[in-house]
Amino acid sequence: MIGVSLRSLLSHKLRLALTTIAVILGVSFVAGTFILTDTINSTFMSIFATANAGVAVTVHGHPIAGTSGGIGGGANHPVPTSLLTTVRAVPGVKDAVGNIFREGATLIGHNGKPIGGNGPPTFGANWITDSDISPYHLRSGTPPEGPNDVVVDAGTAAKNGLVVGGSLPIVFLGGVEEHFTITGIAGYGSSDNLAGATIALFTEATAERVLDGQNKYDSILVSAQSGVTDVVLRERIAMALPSYAEAETGQQAAAAAEQSTESTISTFIGTPLLVFAFISLFVGSFLIINTFNILVAQRTRELALLRALGATRAQVMTSVLVEAAVTGFVASMLGFGVGILIARALLSVFGSTATTGITLLPRTFIVAVLVGTIVTVIAATLPARRATRIAPVAALSESLPETQDLPRRRIALGLVIFVLGCAALVAGLFTSNSVTLQLIGGGFLGVFLGVSLLAPLLVVPVATVIGWPVRRLRGAAGLLAGENARRNPRRTALTAAALMIGLALVTCVAVLTDSVRVSTNNAIEGTLRADFIVFTQGPDFDTQAAGALAKDPKLTDVTEVRVTPVLIRGSSESISAIDPSELGSVLTLSMVSGDASAIGTTNTAIVDSTEAGAAGVHMGQLVTFNFPQGATVRVRIGGIYTANALVSGYIVSIATMQPQVPTARDDVVLANAAPGVSSGQAEAALQHDVHAFPLLMAMSRSQYRTFVGAGLDSFLNLITTLLAFAIIIAVLGIANTLALSVLERTREIGVLRALGMTRSQTRSMVRWESVIISLLGAVLGLAVGLGLGVVVAGSLHDLGITNVAVPGGNLILYALAAGVFGVLAAIIPTIRAARVDILRAIATE
Amino acid sequence: MAETTTAGVSTTASDSRPIAARTTDAVKEYGKGDAMVRALDGITVAFGKGQFSAIMGPSGSGKSTLLHCIAGLDRLTSGSVHIGDIELGSLNDRQLTMLRRERVGFIFQSFNLVPTLSALDNIVLPLTIAGRKPDPAALAEVVRITGLGDRLKHRPNQLSGGQQQRVAAARALASQPEIIFADEPTGNLDSRASTDLLDFLRHAVSALGQTILMVTHDPLAAAHADRVVFLADGRVVSEMLGPTADTVLDVMRHLGD
Repeated sequence: MIGVSLRSLLSHKLRLALTTIAVILGVSFVAGTFILTDTINSTFMSIFATANAGVAVTVHGHPIAGTSGGIGGGANHPVPTSLLTTVRAVPGVKDAVGNIFREGATLIGHNGKPIGGNGPPTFGANWITDSDISPYHLRSGTPPEGPNDVVVDAGTAAKNGLVVGGSLPIVFLGGVEEHFTITGIAGYGSSDNLAGATIALFTEATAERVLDGQNKYDSILVSAQSGVTDVVLRERIAMALPSYAEAETGQQAAAAAEQSTESTISTFIGTPLLVFAFISLFVGSFLIINTFNILVAQRTRELALLRALGATRAQVMTSVLVEAAVTGFVASMLGFGVGILIARALLSVFGSTATTGITLLPRTFIVAVLVGTIVTVIAATLPARRATRIAPVAALSESLPETQDLPRRRIALGLVIFVLGCAALVAGLFTSNSVTLQLIGGGFLGVFLGVSLLAPLLVVPVATVIGWPVRRLRGAAGLLAGENARRNPRRTALTAAALMIGLALVTCVAVLTDSVRVSTNNAIEGTLRADFIVFTQGPDFDTQAAGALAKDPKLTDVTEVRVTPVLIRGSSESISAIDPSELGSVLTLSMVSGDASAIGTTNTAIVDSTEAGAAGVHMGQLVTFNFPQGATVRVRIGGIYTANALVSGYIVSIATMQPQVPTARDDVVLANAAPGVSSGQAEAALQHDVHAFPLLMAMSRSQYRTFVGAGLDSFLNLITTLLAFAIIIAVLGIANTLALSVLERTREIGVLRALGMTRSQTRSMVRWESVIISLLGAVLGLAVGLGLGVVVAGSLHDLGITNVAVPGGNLILYALAAGVFGVLAAIIPTIRAARVDILRAIATE
Repeated sequence: MAETTTAGVSTTASDSRPIAARTTDAVKEYGKGDAMVRALDGITVAFGKGQFSAIMGPSGSGKSTLLHCIAGLDRLTSGSVHIGDIELGSLNDRQLTMLRRERVGFIFQSFNLVPTLSALDNIVLPLTIAGRKPDPAALAEVVRITGLGDRLKHRPNQLSGGQQQRVAAARALASQPEIIFADEPTGNLDSRASTDLLDFLRHAVSALGQTILMVTHDPLAAAHADRVVFLADGRVVSEMLGPTADTVLDVMRHLGD
């Protein structure tokens, strides 16, 4: 029997071509994701290993609450520079050096723009003179010696044409430009660069000044005398340390950093990409089901003959599944290869690890091949079961009736799965518990599966409606296109459902982003009274900027907004601080109770009603704020307001925050045009003031609205791009169904041609069938996506998504795109249909 | 009584009526070199308008090839084919398609109805393809004589073989073509349905003046024709006017020798 399936496979290899491509696409997505994240991880591994290569022990403060995780691990409290003396005095210590290493030294390129834009982090650090400990290795030039000397990493230097002796403007912490001279170019360990981040190295005194060092080191790096192990040295140092500091070995530090990095990359890159890879495979499985259904239908007589000759049902089933397994296996191997190419392409786009090559783990290969093969076999199980139901007598019967009716069982199953999916979705969205994400994911899956099972019921009515204008426009070709689309509702439904999934997800995200846009616009209109808003896309920025604006006579009400994390009842919250006297002139808060001006009293906060409800906080209550810097402050709730997309959470006065977080910088600065100054003049003045701060963006309210919209658009574009695989697979599915249908209907096409149908009419017939299937997918996709989008957006009310909006323009665009997909999918099938040899087609067998 | 002529002698329609279709030195070869088969070996024959002609011959005599070439479904290797006064060899694919659409009707052995269309839609399909509206009176007449009145809304799979072939015949007649080509139209029918269909075709010729050219191997079918042309080895070997089943069978026995 295996021989039979292999021979069948070879004779159908053309028919399986598109199935193979679908599996290749899905598997390559999976493999590409693994290779990408493994490669990024291994890049960081080698960086951490390098960074800690000469470090026996590292000393730092305790972890800062609420900052755990992330690339390289969470942030630790710095330690006072005086601790260096204590550490150096520990027996067995060969050398100990202070390490300042912080984000916020942005290099300005020759074009006057920040190097790296808003991409990788921009680190500033002190040059470490002890070359045994230092991860930095000079490639050319000399270490920084004077206050205006800088050494830059080799990767950044090469990419941006920075040379020793050149001048380099640098912006620190969102402040003004300062000019430095490049004295040297250094590598980080053996690599050019810290995974794409920029590093600027200064003398310790300069680093201390420009990075707001405050006589503190981020860590102290220690080397051991020979004969003293890292573990022993760590114990000795730990004994000598005051309670605010801790020590770990270089290896422990590297391992902790590795672990945190790995989980961060998995959370932010690996898992999301795998979700999209799964969607692609899920859509691909529809195509696989259709293909094997058609193959089984075409082989009905052959399979019946095998049954008549004594083959058991199990043997028939096995013969179909073996064919699927071999197809899936071969396609998965190819998919693995394509995945390598995709990962390479993505890495070269990121441009970070061009030199290190890619990381191929055995796990990647095993998972890719298993996933592709298993998906193919599972998808082929339904057709295989159908094959087992072929009665031996079918070998003898003349015509093979196609079963058209949808069994009630299937309708009931579809309804149950759909309803369960909806329930899971609602449960996931409107309650919060440990399985929220699983419920939402399962809900989407259930909705898609349910609609796919019910879709055959919709084929005839929807295809009739869509087919009507086609019939009017295209005469016989249109008539036959419509009839052909309705001919096999299950096949049409499955083909259209594959497209539905991609379009529904795009539509859902479009509804979400549009809802965010409208909600934000409403928030900007309703809440933001200030004419101008100043912010950066990076971390917070120097308070000098607000100072400069405050001095400008064309501006008034210049108001700083500062944000800092605090621990409230064990959970990390961001609290905002603002000057109470200016609050009313830049923001309008809609108060539920109390008054916004209450924050004018020190240690009084206002909070939004959602947060208050969730935390069980009420007016007049005392809430404990644990500042990461150590202080604990009891704050009285003086007002409760309604959150929106712009403003939410706890708000206090700057006077309340300042003593606890003296280094806090500004997150946003708001300002109005001074009385009697036109908004144009005020804006010109503002832009002039901000020009000195290269990282800052200053916008009018309407510009800000456009800016937020552009951000949402790029998010939607990103999601659409990620769903492109799934949509391409669905379009391949349409092409596949059409190609196989044309093959099945060769004789019919021959007759039509004999009766006077021209080649172009024949092409038109197939093309319009394709368009009808695509539009059916679009109708389903838009309807399901709209439903999902509205429900999901509605559930985010508490996050400030106060409005649910339907982007009509996008929906029309998607429907038109689906029509175009239909035309594209039909290209090859139309060529085949038009080439049908009339004589051969109608010749009696 | 039947009148026969010897091979190669009769090359025109056997009376003075106008010609619907004719071939001159029609040669059709398949394959190349040693594998070459000469299916038509210089056939010159003409078929009169308003006549019911049959082509007969043993298997491999080239009768179906001749029909396909005259109908514009296949091309000659050399020689010429005319339908009316149009020479088919000079037409491109589109012009041939237009010719089939405007001037030709087909009835196939295996009915070849479009399964998704109702009987009525199948009947008017050639007109729909051509973007023409059926002439209601003519359509009503075709429907009446096929006796399909109560079956028009049915799909082909709801009809018997005989009914399906009558739909196919009605389809060929509905566009009132200059000539109908019927390729073994009774091949898949039982004798009763065959007789019905042949009576129907006979009626179309006698009452409506339709021209029909039919390929068959069934002497009973051929007996319904006005004239029978016999082929063997790609040549016209004999022909007969006013055939009966017996006389046709006689000639066929000869050819079999």
